[in-house]
Amino acid sequence: MSTFLIRKDAVPDWIQRLARENAVYFPQRAGQSGFRFEPVQEGSEIQFEQYHPTIVPPGKKLAPAGEVLFQYRREGEDAVVEPVVDASFRILAGVRPCDLKGIDLMDQANREGCADPHYLTRRANTAIIAYDCLTPCDKACFCDATGSLRCRKGADIFLTPVDEDVLVEPLSERGLALLAGANFPICGNVEARKAKAEGGRAKPFGRQFKAPLQQIPGIVAKQWHSPVWEKHVQQCFSCGSCNLVCPTCYCFNVQDDFDLTNTSAGQRSRTWDGCMLPNFAEVAGGHNFRSHPADRQRHRVKRKFEYLTKRFEEGSFCTGCGRCGRQCTAGIDIFDIVNDLVDNTEATS
Amino acid sequence: MNVTASASDTTLDKNLYLPRMATILAVEEMTAREKFFRVELSQPLGHRPGQFVMLSRLGIGEAPISVSCGPRDDTILEMVVRNAGSLTQVFHGLQPGQKVGVRGPFGSGFDLADLYDKDIVFIAGGLGLAPLRSLIQPVLAQPDRFGTVTIISGCRTPAEELYRADLQSWSHKVKVIRLVDKTANLPWDGQVGLVTAPIAQLDLDPGRTVVALCGPPVMYKFVLMELDARRIPHSQIFVDLERRMKCGVGKCGHCQINHVYCCQEGPVYRFDHIEHLPEALQ
Repeated sequence: MSTFLIRKDAVPDWIQRLARENAVYFPQRAGQSGFRFEPVQEGSEIQFEQYHPTIVPPGKKLAPAGEVLFQYRREGEDAVVEPVVDASFRILAGVRPCDLKGIDLMDQANREGCADPHYLTRRANTAIIAYDCLTPCDKACFCDATGSLRCRKGADIFLTPVDEDVLVEPLSERGLALLAGANFPICGNVEARKAKAEGGRAKPFGRQFKAPLQQIPGIVAKQWHSPVWEKHVQQCFSCGSCNLVCPTCYCFNVQDDFDLTNTSAGQRSRTWDGCMLPNFAEVAGGHNFRSHPADRQRHRVKRKFEYLTKRFEEGSFCTGCGRCGRQCTAGIDIFDIVNDLVDNTEATS
Repeated sequence: MNVTASASDTTLDKNLYLPRMATILAVEEMTAREKFFRVELSQPLGHRPGQFVMLSRLGIGEAPISVSCGPRDDTILEMVVRNAGSLTQVFHGLQPGQKVGVRGPFGSGFDLADLYDKDIVFIAGGLGLAPLRSLIQPVLAQPDRFGTVTIISGCRTPAEELYRADLQSWSHKVKVIRLVDKTANLPWDGQVGLVTAPIAQLDLDPGRTVVALCGPPVMYKFVLMELDARRIPHSQIFVDLERRMKCGVGKCGHCQINHVYCCQEGPVYRFDHIEHLPEALQ
């Protein structure tokens, strides 16, 4: 597929044009310094330079905080049950490599075994226009340490800033279709231009773990009775914010609701749940398999760096986006936990 | 620009979370807390012993419930539901003729072939007899395929004993030891003590004995100590674990024990596969 080169100021027009025909989500300013993936409307500001990771990652558009699984209508004891599957088309634009990685990991988790029809139908109908990161978003991100910085998988179009221009690379047929009619000029010397852009990245790029990523799952796996778990929950409120903002947290609760004005109709829906919440691992009768916050912190960290990495043969289920650390009221940062585990391994070995 | 894909373009099962409706045929009060349900499905469940279903009442909710009957060719499904919360309380109020939703069967379950020619000891604590009955029934139906069968069933008081008539009829075919922790001044024709007590008295050949164990978390530790004393290899002990579950298909995360999902790899585990898995038994 051809790669195109356009001036930076041509990008907003193109995104706006796409938004006239499609639901396009783009990180737009929210609050004093934040950004949020919001639908692009006439007059929405489209710019890439001043980005700060959104509180909620864009992948959550594929697994919303609450979604209906099916609706039912009862006539006496008989019931008509209809699945609710969202097959509307959307474009996620301005997705950064760490969030591409997050979406790729969620694709794998939802495809495994019994494929989840709700997530995967949305995913099949979601085009992604990604934008490369040439500078770390802030001091909290560590996407290079988790191997996310160079992720391109899942993007339909990949944008790389090169000086005052932007390289536009379609990576799928759908990406190509989104460029139809744009009449962007074809670019030569693509690899050299990309190499130049990526060569300008800061080294090291953002925070780095104290051990190579391929060693982290082994280091985490060896530590069950580690003082590190206790150390990092001293201030934990068990609020579950770290779960809610994580691009690879996908645990959910299921509940039924009936229509109060027509009790013979209703729906079953699922809502986000989080393993840091106190009753997450409680069973009938009241026994809680992870009653202490340190048990839950260990479970969360092991999910990101041991359990799911083993299950899906991935290097890391933490994308290094830094969201959990940014949002934690108590300042608990999974990056620090991992480095403490590395230190603790060295101290005990 | 044609970039949309309809749901039908994919090979997804849109019905993954959709229950099949089943009609309640019988409800029997077993104890003050447990009720027995026999329901009729639209097609045979096709389950293995030890599997579970997600049982629901539309508008109220859904919960994992063990299948309590052996594999069958007909469309009948039997379960025991303990009144342990608002959802199960609604189940307890249901009458024959009313409908429930069923998804499943889920989980690994027991493989009967693993047990052929073995002596089998069933150890059930309280509600643990409900899932074990799904294995006891097919084992007792083909006595020639298995060795000696022993059933140890314990509960707190005589009023909490499940499947009394079944235990009685099984006792005509195999050794059945019924225990209560205390008689609570109620008539009782079994033994008094914990399920661990009879294990020392059993005539067990560690080479050909398989133990199937199901009960509350507190029971496992002490039963497993007794079985160690009798030198039963851990590869010949099967435990049936309990977890909260919301999906049954390894997605919702609730039943995760370290890297394994109880709803998929479990709830029946060979003990040597999980004995070093923290959080599995306590």
